[in-house]
Amino acid sequence: MYRYVLGCALAAGVAASGIAASGSANAQDSVKIGLVEPLTGSVAYNGKSVVEGAKLAVEQINAKGGVLGKPVELVIEDGQCAPANSVNAVEKLVQKDKVAVLVGAFCSSATAAIMPVAAKYKIPLVTGVSSSAALTEQNNPWFFRAAETDALMAKAFAKILANDLKLKSVAYVGVNDDWGRGGVEEFSRDLSALGVKTALTEYFDHGSTDFFTLLTKLRAAKPDGIFVAAETQDGSILVKQLQEMGVQSKVFGVGSWATADFINLTGDAAEGIYAAVPYVSSVDTPRNNEFVKAYEAKYKVKPGKYGAAGYNALNITAQAIAQAGSTDAEAIRTALGKTDYKAPNGEYRFTAKGQAYGFDAVLVRIEGGTPKVVASSPVEAPQ
Amino acid sequence: MDLFLQFLTNGLVVGVFYALSALGLTLIFGLMRVVNFAHGEFYMLGGVVGWFVTTYLGLDFFSGLVLVALAIGSFGWLVDRFLIERVRGQGEEPGILLTIGLSIFLVNITLLAIGPAPLKVARAITEGPIFLGPVTITKMRLLAMVIGIALIVGAHAIIHRTRLGSAMRATFQDPMAASLAGIRTKQVYAATFALGCTLSALSGMLLASIYSAQASVGGLVSLKSFVVVILGGMGSFPGAIAGGLLLGVAEALWGGYVATGMVDIIGFLLVILILVLRPQGLFSIRAERA
Repeated sequence: MYRYVLGCALAAGVAASGIAASGSANAQDSVKIGLVEPLTGSVAYNGKSVVEGAKLAVEQINAKGGVLGKPVELVIEDGQCAPANSVNAVEKLVQKDKVAVLVGAFCSSATAAIMPVAAKYKIPLVTGVSSSAALTEQNNPWFFRAAETDALMAKAFAKILANDLKLKSVAYVGVNDDWGRGGVEEFSRDLSALGVKTALTEYFDHGSTDFFTLLTKLRAAKPDGIFVAAETQDGSILVKQLQEMGVQSKVFGVGSWATADFINLTGDAAEGIYAAVPYVSSVDTPRNNEFVKAYEAKYKVKPGKYGAAGYNALNITAQAIAQAGSTDAEAIRTALGKTDYKAPNGEYRFTAKGQAYGFDAVLVRIEGGTPKVVASSPVEAPQ
Repeated sequence: MDLFLQFLTNGLVVGVFYALSALGLTLIFGLMRVVNFAHGEFYMLGGVVGWFVTTYLGLDFFSGLVLVALAIGSFGWLVDRFLIERVRGQGEEPGILLTIGLSIFLVNITLLAIGPAPLKVARAITEGPIFLGPVTITKMRLLAMVIGIALIVGAHAIIHRTRLGSAMRATFQDPMAASLAGIRTKQVYAATFALGCTLSALSGMLLASIYSAQASVGGLVSLKSFVVVILGGMGSFPGAIAGGLLLGVAEALWGGYVATGMVDIIGFLLVILILVLRPQGLFSIRAERA
């Protein structure tokens, strides 16, 4: 009960501040895009990065005159990564703010909950983050995923991991939700197919702080490599404690690993760990350098995976609205299907199921406090 | 066997941490009978203020700890005099609503001021593993355990060996009689609340240097602390230690031999068992109070 009361009150508080921040332009002279991200709770920090990326995109779009001759207005709601709160947020965005397109909701479980709501109101929904493979298998025509899935990442990197790191056995550790479990399943399937043995599979809850019990089991299993699916908070504490427990295995992870904050929080324990990420700021292409420069000028930090995700999702959405020539939902949906967006990290297109492909994913190794690109591989359309 | 020893050590360390983080609640909820839902937020403030004083004021860990104790202690005093005092003697519900409101306020002010990012608190000593035969523990964890035990013993001594402690116990047993005997009960209430907040903040900073400080940690800390206090018995320091250790070891063994993914289930299972079998808690002297 307490948590429920607290949750509602928090959501209300953040909602109020979000509206206040987004200004008072009225519905007639702006194109509204609704953004649902976790702004409180254990992944709030990553959610905030998505919002930062999205705001930068909107700023750049509006500097060039907006879309359909009107400025784009971002309406931000806190979904807390929780299905129920995310649904409430979407209901509010649709009913009260009358947004043209929805972007969100970070955690796969929350996105799965808002997909039917988007379909009910016939409003296109673009996610830049949620990576559980099941989402695009639901054949929801209003849903588009401008992100990698665990399966696509696993496919892109399994061979590199097995051959280049010479792994014979791997322990899998993931956060106890759709995304973590999905990541562990996909990577263990693809690595097992290459003859890598599974030493251990364990999960932990969001917001866990003490991993010694898990790491005791892990150390006893003596794996060559450890696969971790975790976000910044959980992941950085886990990696620190790996070092404290004296575990020597190679660590590779998915999640927000190659960011400056992760490295800062983790300290020297981050040295030598690998991360498979859809985006890293050190990729040297003109489009990416331009994006990193703009992001750094605005936020004083280099963009991470989630900053880029928010930026890309907003650009894809705005481009689709411009293509559609109106805020008619059906027209926007058709335009989204024909997306050809040149992102800092490659080009985004969508399959018939709404899964993005064509952009580059990278494997990085953290050396001397910066992520160095080890390998990069374009994400192919799933069969 | 080696594995069991490591699980047991992990459990004992985490158990002491649980006891430590529940100390403030033992005082405020167990002794004062204020159902303090803002407990976790005082813990959180300890970590966040600790991060601020070590990062921006350049203090070392121990001076920082003293400053945090003073700052949060004074804040707790003010909260009692200006907020809690207004609802005192009106039953538990107004206090519950007040502390829920306070917790929401504190979390959102912190989010507004420093954002949701996890923060790194400077460590007291350089960290490194220590290997004791088959068991691994780290220096910082050992130090935190020592400081934790010292705080528990210190708090116990204040309550049972000092004049202030006698005044506290007298006040919470019968405020009217205490008042008639010349005890300034308003000061005693405020002092107890301030002491409780100080203990929460100290544990918050100590544990933040091992994990990390963050605006949103409070909810989980409050929940676990209520589990510890109810397990151990209201207002009992030996009870808080026993409750903490029981929870820590039970979680470690459950996580070790069953699954780490469902570890939170065990604490609540223990609470249900205790409430059914021994509702006054493991160490409580009396079940009912005048």
